[in-house]
Amino acid sequence: MAQTASDAELARDALAGSEAAYRELVTRYASPAVNFIYRFTRDRALAEDLAQEGFLRVYQRLKTYDPERKFSSWFFQVLRNITIDYLRVNRLPTSSLDELEEEGHRGAAVDRESASPEQAAGQSELAVAMSAALAKIRPEYREVVVLRYQEGLTQPEIAEILGMPSGTVKTYLHRARKELAEILSEAGWNTNV
Amino acid sequence: MDRKQLERWLAEEASGHDEGADAAFAHLFSAVPKVEPNPAFVEQAVSAAWRWRVRRRRLVVCAWAATILLVAVGVGMALLGAPRIATSVIKGFAFVSGRAVPWLVAYTTVAMSWWWTLGHVGSVIASALMTPGRASALVGVELVGLLAFYALQRMAGAERFGDAQV
Repeated sequence: MAQTASDAELARDALAGSEAAYRELVTRYASPAVNFIYRFTRDRALAEDLAQEGFLRVYQRLKTYDPERKFSSWFFQVLRNITIDYLRVNRLPTSSLDELEEEGHRGAAVDRESASPEQAAGQSELAVAMSAALAKIRPEYREVVVLRYQEGLTQPEIAEILGMPSGTVKTYLHRARKELAEILSEAGWNTNV
Repeated sequence: MDRKQLERWLAEEASGHDEGADAAFAHLFSAVPKVEPNPAFVEQAVSAAWRWRVRRRRLVVCAWAATILLVAVGVGMALLGAPRIATSVIKGFAFVSGRAVPWLVAYTTVAMSWWWTLGHVGSVIASALMTPGRASALVGVELVGLLAFYALQRMAGAERFGDAQV
């Protein structure tokens, strides 16, 4: 399987029965899928389960994929539907900052036992604070933030996934950043004021 | 995640520069921790899809086999039983039509005769009663009734929203 094959080509080959093509697609999208769902469930194991379900549904519906569309847009649309279906049935609590550390964000949580430099500790704390702030904003804002800044999608692509005008996505992004800024400022992270 | 980046983003946000804030936040957000799926994730996803694929192909084969079998059985039964079935159908049709058709014709004739009689009586009464003045009065009464109904509906609607003046 060529490394440079596009997602659409891989999808076409997977539909034709190529296991290697499907494996490559899963490899490319495993981390984005798990991280996308994780931002809503705050549960890594659950995020992996839902992502598995997402990949299966994507495979089952490969026939309906239009190669003219960007694969990532279609893929995240499927993932979003699965996540929404799950969250409709199961209401999940918003995790606190402490829970984030317990969940295994060793890279982000402050290692209190080590004698790391103060700045490094501050950076880790900030990363955790940002994660916690993200968990606090409205789900529709969180969705656009994750798709834009975590998955690197453009506003028109996000608009296609969410089925809303591009202008609304822009507004949501603006409001989401404002809310995040307010939450972080209230938590004492803004030294500009 | 750099504190200076955070401050830059917050400053852009405060000054209202949307594009600058977008770029600064994108830079800042890239440092937010991500979770990594377990190493077996890809293998599990691929094997789940391929298991489904095998099951589906098996199901399609079974469905085709069942369809072919049903069609074959149907065709065989039709070929074997056709002479008997055809005879029974013709006999049944002759029996029903021999008894039902005369009754149907008789009832239809009587019904049509009543229909024409009623129609004639109705037209005689209408021509005797209806004059232009009476027709105008009837239309007027109907219009008044419609207006009253409209007014009642408006009042009921206003009451539903809680601003009825009693």
